[in-house]
Amino acid sequence: MSSADTATEADTPAEPEAPRDERREALLARLQAELGSDLVGSHIRAGDDLWVRVTRDAWPTAAEITHRRLKYSFFDFLSGLDWLPSPFGRDMDSQEDILVHGQEAKEPPAMAQGYAGGETRFQVFARVYSLTEHMGITLKADLPDDDLSVGTWSGTYAGANWHERECWEMFGFHFVGHPQLAHLYLPGGFEGNPLRKDFPLLARRVKPWPGIVDVEPMPGGAGDDEEGGE
Amino acid sequence: MTALSDREQLTSLANQAADSRVNLEFETEGMTLNMGPQHPATHGTLRILVKLDGEQVISADPMPGYMHRGYEKLCEVRTYPQVTTLVNRIDWLGSFANEVPWILAAEKLMGIEAPPRAQYIRTILFELSRMANVSLFLGDLGIQLGGITVGFYAFRDREHVLNQIEAVTGGRFHPNFDRIGGLKDDLPKGWIAETKKAMEKMRAFCDEVEDLLFGNEIFQKRTRGIGLIPPHVAQSYGLSGANIRGSGVDWDLRRDACPPGLVYDKADWKVWTHPDCDSFSRSWIRLQETREATKIVDQLLDSIPSGPIMAKVPRIIKVPEGEAYVATENPLGEMGYYLVSKGDLNPFRVKIRSASFNNVSIVPWVCKGVYVPDVITILASLYFILGDIDR
Amino acid sequence: MGLVASGKVPKPLTHLLNMSRKYSLWCYQWGLACCAIEMGAAFASPRYDVMRLGVIPFPASPRQADLVVIAGTVTDKLAPAVRRLYEQMPDPKYVISMGSCSNCGGPYWDSYSVTKGVDQIIPVDVYVPGCPPRPEALLEGIVLLQERIQNEDPAERFRGDPIVVG
Repeated sequence: MSSADTATEADTPAEPEAPRDERREALLARLQAELGSDLVGSHIRAGDDLWVRVTRDAWPTAAEITHRRLKYSFFDFLSGLDWLPSPFGRDMDSQEDILVHGQEAKEPPAMAQGYAGGETRFQVFARVYSLTEHMGITLKADLPDDDLSVGTWSGTYAGANWHERECWEMFGFHFVGHPQLAHLYLPGGFEGNPLRKDFPLLARRVKPWPGIVDVEPMPGGAGDDEEGGE
Repeated sequence: MTALSDREQLTSLANQAADSRVNLEFETEGMTLNMGPQHPATHGTLRILVKLDGEQVISADPMPGYMHRGYEKLCEVRTYPQVTTLVNRIDWLGSFANEVPWILAAEKLMGIEAPPRAQYIRTILFELSRMANVSLFLGDLGIQLGGITVGFYAFRDREHVLNQIEAVTGGRFHPNFDRIGGLKDDLPKGWIAETKKAMEKMRAFCDEVEDLLFGNEIFQKRTRGIGLIPPHVAQSYGLSGANIRGSGVDWDLRRDACPPGLVYDKADWKVWTHPDCDSFSRSWIRLQETREATKIVDQLLDSIPSGPIMAKVPRIIKVPEGEAYVATENPLGEMGYYLVSKGDLNPFRVKIRSASFNNVSIVPWVCKGVYVPDVITILASLYFILGDIDR
Repeated sequence: MGLVASGKVPKPLTHLLNMSRKYSLWCYQWGLACCAIEMGAAFASPRYDVMRLGVIPFPASPRQADLVVIAGTVTDKLAPAVRRLYEQMPDPKYVISMGSCSNCGGPYWDSYSVTKGVDQIIPVDVYVPGCPPRPEALLEGIVLLQERIQNEDPAERFRGDPIVVG
């Protein structure tokens, strides 16, 4: 864990006596040196991955730094995160309340951001990789609700072009400087941003989930810890 | 690392420029050609808007989305075991390979690991689905370049692999066999010997394809030097799998960053690269990969340990809170799931990083300046599955 | 043709006509998703060999086809193209819907972008269930369609009246 951990870090499962990961800590230190105060949060899971959160203004700069200075030139993906807990009860989390909470609808929990923290509902996140060091960095940036725009990566990582188009139609983020923000997946007249949590799946309203529980017994006699809903 | 020298790249660019100069003298009115959504030369429903000057492509703009099924949203309303059924259908030719990174991501957050026997069987099935996938690529490549015979052979010999997958999982196409913590069932009796025979047949198929296709002069003429992708461009577009190895980048997730739960380190095999960066090299690498896959399967079948196939997991699976990204080297390239869990029965957010999406996003870049028949070659050699682009 | 459309064909002639129609089905393959591969296995592989049933699976365009197999997921974005393809086919025309997705939406029954069944756009004659159906299942679907062709009154089909899907 680095010193730049934010307050929300406590919400993530604490790893007792977490093994240290010198390579990723060194990488984080380099990022810290390059980005300075624009790096606002970070998280390391030893031997696995590194999460870094930057400010919205530094989002294109971060891409420049990972690509040109750190030589993390392989582009994995770019997408968005909506941390709003689903405002719909049974329609969207159909199994959840039947199995665990009886028939009562559950109060949605408070909004909590994931690794490397965050303050806003929407985050843009991307992952880059180094083909020589075999390590990846997951970058995140907060987007305030009233202005869902962020600088484009398509000038740095050419592959980000399509990912940003997808993200634009799925979340409604605006990528400043993107050459052509046009629909990629959805037909032209589609209303709404499907991957936002407050976008309902109307088919589930019309007809509830047909199967309540997967009743297939597990092999090897495993899994009698909890009662199934047979 | 660099495949073509700078000089060679410049030569090819100069040649292309020379071509366009010639065309300027015979300049024709621009024409827009709409390939797809249903087109014999696209597998599935990719639509490509090609602007032409004579026979030369000015711009090619793929329009995916005709197969968009909204996986990432649907995953949010399924429980973890149910998602396996869904993700089978992303890359429908190598279905089992889609399940594995998903299961591994869930296992990583839950902190459980499958028993060794399950890991071996998983790896074997993974490679079998690679063969089922890539053998059809080889057939399809032949069909698109005018050699229909290879297609018939591919469909014939693919059945050997599908039979083996079906014998274990009960499904020819969509096994839905991987479980969090292990596998659904053990191997049936006599399967190992049968699979070894099937591997012999697959090797014979590879030899046949090599003779029929790769030694063919027309095939070589149509693929060599067509669709050049330099390594740095490939990386910046996020190309993976045989496409990036065909650009001379020696990188394979199976060897370099194999997630725990697969046992590629227990077998002796080789990662092939090809320095030419063209359509031929990408196709040739896939052929070699099929051969390597038969080798991996043979070796793992010999050393498969006995023991349970399922770890102790709770009946109702709840994945602890956290985030994880797990990627594996699927038949089409790097396939990964970024899983965000909030400790519920359903995942909170799933980002599916599918290989074909990135692989196809390079089409506008690589198709600029080529001739119409070369578009077919390039698309065939980039090798995409529509479900994998659109999800 | 006028005789057939007017419905005044003698019975033995109808029998003969139907028999010749059912054994020369030119089938357009509209492969969309996973099912396309199983359809390819049924139509193009030597193991299943659909031509022994009198189906010719290689017309160059829907305008030359009697039968279309909709194999795979139909999305809302694609639906107009499916409709247009169907309208291009000459009467009499038949549709086989292959696989759960084109039957009813299948595993994507709650998706925001998938059409819940191709029969919302075009009339379907035979539904082949499965996800995906095995090639044998598609062959059985074709045999069932042939039975249906044998027993039908060609006049209805040639007039191109809307077909009530039972």
